[in-house]
Amino acid sequence: MPADGIPKGLTDPPAPLPPDIGEGTEEQTKATGTLILVFVFLAAFVVYYFVNWKLLSALWRIG
Amino acid sequence: MHTGLESPKGIWWKPAHKAEKLWVIIAFVWCMVLFAMMPLWHVRGAQNPSGIRAKVDPEAFLARTQEFIRTYQVGTDGGLPVVAPPPGSHVYMMAMQFSWTPVLRLQAGAEYTLHLSALDVNHGFSLFPMNINFQIVPGYDYGLTVTPTEAGEFKVICNEFCGIGHHLMLGKIEVVDGPVTQGGGS
Amino acid sequence: MNWDFRTCPYTGLKVDKNADALMKVNAVVATVALLIGGLSAIGVLLTRWQAIHLFDAAWFYRLLTIHGMNMLIFFILFFEMAILYFASAVLLNSRVAAPKAGWVGFGLMLLGTILIEWMMFAGRADVLFTSYVPLRADPNFYLGVIFFAVGALTVVIQFFATLVIAKREKTYEGSVPLVTFGAATAAIIAVITLGHGAAVYIPTYLWSLGLMEMDAQIYRLVWWGLGHSSQQINVAAMVSVWYLLGAFTVGAVVINEKISRTAFVLYVLFISMASAHHLLVDPGMGPAWKVWNTSYAMYLAVLASMIHGFTVPAGIEVGQRLRGMTKGTFEWFRRAPWGDPGFSSLILSIIIFGFLGGITGVTFGTEQINIIAHNTLRIPGHFHATVVGGTALAFMGLTYYVIPLVFRKKVAFFPLAKMQPYIFAIGMTIFSIAMTFVGTFGVPRRHWDITFANSPFDLQFAPAVDLLLGVMGIGGLIAALGGGIYILITVWSVFLGTPMEGESA
Repeated sequence: MPADGIPKGLTDPPAPLPPDIGEGTEEQTKATGTLILVFVFLAAFVVYYFVNWKLLSALWRIG
Repeated sequence: MHTGLESPKGIWWKPAHKAEKLWVIIAFVWCMVLFAMMPLWHVRGAQNPSGIRAKVDPEAFLARTQEFIRTYQVGTDGGLPVVAPPPGSHVYMMAMQFSWTPVLRLQAGAEYTLHLSALDVNHGFSLFPMNINFQIVPGYDYGLTVTPTEAGEFKVICNEFCGIGHHLMLGKIEVVDGPVTQGGGS
Repeated sequence: MNWDFRTCPYTGLKVDKNADALMKVNAVVATVALLIGGLSAIGVLLTRWQAIHLFDAAWFYRLLTIHGMNMLIFFILFFEMAILYFASAVLLNSRVAAPKAGWVGFGLMLLGTILIEWMMFAGRADVLFTSYVPLRADPNFYLGVIFFAVGALTVVIQFFATLVIAKREKTYEGSVPLVTFGAATAAIIAVITLGHGAAVYIPTYLWSLGLMEMDAQIYRLVWWGLGHSSQQINVAAMVSVWYLLGAFTVGAVVINEKISRTAFVLYVLFISMASAHHLLVDPGMGPAWKVWNTSYAMYLAVLASMIHGFTVPAGIEVGQRLRGMTKGTFEWFRRAPWGDPGFSSLILSIIIFGFLGGITGVTFGTEQINIIAHNTLRIPGHFHATVVGGTALAFMGLTYYVIPLVFRKKVAFFPLAKMQPYIFAIGMTIFSIAMTFVGTFGVPRRHWDITFANSPFDLQFAPAVDLLLGVMGIGGLIAALGGGIYILITVWSVFLGTPMEGESA
């Protein structure tokens, strides 16, 4: 039960990892969730970027 | 396994995590796309901020613009001279605290070299509603080749802070279909 | 030499009491600057909201200058000085190399700050944050900047000296923690920044006294060497804070030191040149210069950010998975401590910085696309997402740990503290999206009156513009509320708060 006024990271800190954890198992160290999130990011990036090229192309010729 | 607050134990130069390696490669490829688009657009695209650039003394630019106005003035609008230069010509617009001079009357589909400079401080050329924007620096002539695509009335906003009258600055560029009438008349 | 240390009851780190004192004063001044910056933000916002148009033109441009200087220079740099002390002396169990130098540095920064504030409030520096020559401020404005920069450089040098001493006195084993490494890259970029600052502000000071000529284009070129590099300090510091908060809140692991460190090094190598993206539609440089300096250079720094954008969340995911949260793809995310303001700030900072700030920034930094972005509201829309939604929010999250760890007080109004990051983030998200979108209609930045009353011609923006500016206003006010809550909590906690158990009042 966290003491009020002190964030959880201090009152109830993350459990220490067992000393024999080594490099961890496949299941423990995969980052699939993060990979999905960054792909969503990349998709947003690609869309926004090319939409802007499209907007630019509608202007007067400039050189 | 350690956190960012702890010193890594032993050798930390280790092979990357599988997903991490995948992402770094993909991100790098995307970065190369980002780079390649720019030279590509110079070759295949129609909007580039290249221009013919030169240093110019503000006094000289003022004189050149005044001569340009004398040669091609066709009237006045909003207290400013309106000029109608022939297609293909060098066209001048000067920015100063707090106006854009002169008003330009251009022909749709025709190419012009639009020389932009400032007589005093930095200004920002922002063509409304096209949203075409350039930095105007005193002492520098930005000669952009422009081809208006269609007729209309366009305003020139100043979008670089230039002093207390910054928000009063508004210029105009008219684009008409067909040849512009030049010289004389009002 | 008798050094006075205390042992932190939470981390077990040995803390030099000089580090405590220096962190505290820097954090306090940072918060005062945030308050001034925040109040001027509200003034600017309520003036750009045309229906309200609160301040006249002179005060609008003045408040805009005050807002920029207080937020981008005073708040952020004083806070970062505190981070430098933490990342060196505290994290490495070391003494501060030369505490007196730390006080001299702080004193000079404070002197510079006061001089600049005085000039701005007195209307003697209505030149905006960028102070583009030939706009001319009172010479004391430039002098204040020089004092501030010299003070900051002193603190940065002290940081490196502390790293050297810690290594020599073997106060830690192995290599430095990643957070310290990240802070070191921020410090290196700070040296690059301050070098550009001297190169531009010393001549400008002399110019303001009438002693020399200044070329307007060269000023912009060198100034942005200072201006963009200073933002990269903020990025490096923010990313270091991400790793730090990840460690505190969920025991996030560093999945690969090599990759994370290389990404930090890329920031150092490629950042000064990348300042070119501020000059893409300037008349003084040609396309080859622009394309090269904004791309090959920036895109490796962009790669670095995309790398950290993976390694920081991945470190959280793996840290959670190693502690048993392996069910499905997102259990680690759902079962994270969302009620810990350090954690919520961390995640929201990553999302806003990446999605809103990063995507818009890189896009606008393309030579040709810059034509439809330069000096419109798209630009401040972008950088409020990066610096405010990103860096400032991360720093706010860190503060909730600084209060108990350094000031040794409980966080006052803790239920409110848990909500604060969400309020600030939602406000900033709405503000930034609205501002970036309204800029696509050509609405100018740094502009007092977009109705163009008293101009020679008429101009009517699309009706959507008024709506968007209203939405932007609401978002900004929500963010200001979030910022105000943060200041209330921190000031109350530090000066009126309950001491931690075992501490005397």
